[in-house]
Amino acid sequence: MIKDTWRFEPFNEEPIRLIDEEGNWIGEFDLDLSDQELQELYRHLVRGRLLDERYQIILRQGKTSFVAPSAGHEGAQVGLAKAVRPGFDWIFPYYRDKTLLATLGYPVELLYAQMMATRLDPNKGRQMPEHPGLRELNVFTVASPIASHAPPAVGAAISAKIQGTGQVVLTTFGDGATSEGDWHAALNFAGAQGAPIVFAAENNRYAISVNFEKQSGSPRIADKAHAYGFPGYQVDGMDVLASLYVAREAVERARQGLGPSLVEFLVYRYGPHSSADDDRVYRSREEVEFWRKKDPILRFERFLEKRGLWTPEAGEKLREEVKAELLAAEEKAEAAGPVPPEWMFDDLYSTPYWLLEEQRGILLAEL
Amino acid sequence: MATLNIVQAVKRALDEEMARDERVVVLGEDVGKRGGVFLATEGLYQKYGPDRVIDTPLAEAAIIGAAVGMATHGLRPVAEIQFADYVFPGFDQLVSQAAKLRYRSGGQFSAPMVVRMPSGGGVKGGHHHSQSPEAYFTHTAGLKVVVPSTPTDTLGLLKTAIRDDDPVVFMEPKRLYRAIKEEVPDEEFTIPLGQARIRREGTDLTLIAYGGPTVEALKAADELTKAGVSAEVLDLRSLVPWDKETVLNSVAKTGRALVIAEAPRTASFASEVAATVMEELLDQLMSPVYRVTGFDTPYPYVPDREYMPTVTRILNFAKKALDY
Ligand SMILES: Cc1ncc(C[n+]2csc(CCOP(=O)(O)OP(=O)(O)O)c2C)c(N)n1
Repeated sequence: MIKDTWRFEPFNEEPIRLIDEEGNWIGEFDLDLSDQELQELYRHLVRGRLLDERYQIILRQGKTSFVAPSAGHEGAQVGLAKAVRPGFDWIFPYYRDKTLLATLGYPVELLYAQMMATRLDPNKGRQMPEHPGLRELNVFTVASPIASHAPPAVGAAISAKIQGTGQVVLTTFGDGATSEGDWHAALNFAGAQGAPIVFAAENNRYAISVNFEKQSGSPRIADKAHAYGFPGYQVDGMDVLASLYVAREAVERARQGLGPSLVEFLVYRYGPHSSADDDRVYRSREEVEFWRKKDPILRFERFLEKRGLWTPEAGEKLREEVKAELLAAEEKAEAAGPVPPEWMFDDLYSTPYWLLEEQRGILLAEL
Repeated sequence: MATLNIVQAVKRALDEEMARDERVVVLGEDVGKRGGVFLATEGLYQKYGPDRVIDTPLAEAAIIGAAVGMATHGLRPVAEIQFADYVFPGFDQLVSQAAKLRYRSGGQFSAPMVVRMPSGGGVKGGHHHSQSPEAYFTHTAGLKVVVPSTPTDTLGLLKTAIRDDDPVVFMEPKRLYRAIKEEVPDEEFTIPLGQARIRREGTDLTLIAYGGPTVEALKAADELTKAGVSAEVLDLRSLVPWDKETVLNSVAKTGRALVIAEAPRTASFASEVAATVMEELLDQLMSPVYRVTGFDTPYPYVPDREYMPTVTRILNFAKKALDY
């Protein structure tokens, strides 16, 4: 099935890695990205990290009620975002994907508007924070029930195939999601249909407090693709270049009509599961420190530095620029003002319903 | 005019809609060459091919979930669940994805899709081939729920459901699939959702039914006529949206009502209708509104028919209402 020209062997023993921890290129092929493209990847990594940090601040300020920390996931997310065609391909993300979405071109002020449920949010404040979605970018609005977006992602991919649009569907999820029935049903159907879809597991080794050993008897998520008849790849998701190249290959396979793939990105979340979690009760600080040393941004800085594309000063300057951009976006989102309560009755059905109008009346009498 | 039974009406609706709009696709277990276990999709695979009549893996979550994705991506999927009793593995997809997609995305995305399922008892199938699970769906904001009881209504309502921009759960009373035949106009027609049908006019008592027991309601009305009681029979046809106006107009006229349905009574849609009538018409009622329903047990294999609201049960409650 795999053509000779494909770079990566599926079901690899060791995670695919293209930059070692000292920042050396260890790929067995020539890097085909320009200096500018490399710097662009760096900018997105930094932007995602800073966005995550800013979310913590608006949480403390009481402007939002919930954050799902994504620091440690940026390598995989930037790689994935850069492997698809924004606004053409369809993305079915999950709640920890802010870097993926920001990199894809989801306007940051709209991400903030979703976080703060202001009028600017195209989802009209209906969902809890970290649940964005944007029709113009074909970003399917995030749903909380774990893995429930996987079967719809497959449906969109089958639709793209039937209609011959050439679009690819990308769906992301955590390691815990791979235990859900919906997840298996989705991969199984995608395999049977040869649907143009990439399943991307962001394996941060924990589903809240439950580690992967308790989640599954199989050591690798990628191996599960065997059962569905398509390739599975395990990638060092803290290596942005490995993430990008493998994601690109999976997307291209799908685009060429070769069907689905499952890509497992080994990442780590530095923060707690969410702002409602305390991770100290289930993992040691030493463990967190161990993974922080493999940080995707630090590693990529070393890589860029060796090529004369990064200095600490340039890094600092970029951070300041991005911070200013994020602050402006936050202000814009906030200025839109809160979603009014009577919006509650809109968008349920495409046609008016007397029942909802009666209930709107009950609410309006209380306001 | 052709004479059709309900299965043939389903098939004709699917065929006409697939011919009219190439975005309409059918998916489910055995819907392809086999034409569905009840033959509701018979011949469609041969006519429209495997891309539009899709035999799926045996996984209801995949069927309903994929329909959501197809719908939001631009197709008009009609999913078949082999029996309503098997919707539960796909329940989360209906409740968490299909029902909420338009709402939770602020109207950015929608799921214009139909989930068809044969429902109800009377086929000697025991509790896993006989249930009427509509209350789970009427309780879920964002779904429309349609339950026809005649070939003409099945044809007209299914076509409307396929054209509707919201997810519609379309429950077909399977015991009536081949039990009722009627002449159906050859020319194309649709029937709007949310309109009850007055099946028979009367002045003393309103029998409000939907789905399978509409048949028993009509028979009970015949019996009541013999006893000198004039019963009006309403077929709700659509539960979400439901036609409160027609119901209230009828009960305001008769002053008495029974709500008749096959599903268990507790927290049923029949309870919703009964409560609404009592809230809005209390001073015009001459008796309480009684719910005549299936029992609050699982649907037993034996007795099969006696679980459902029988003509006798309807008449017993009618007497109670008339004697009140
Ligand atoms: C169906 C369902 N069950 C439980 C939950 C509660 N819950 C939210 S996130 C989560 C853990 C998910 O872990 P994983 O899939 O590994 O993703 P991660 O959060 O680690 O990125 C759980 C149990 C849920 N949202 N949905």
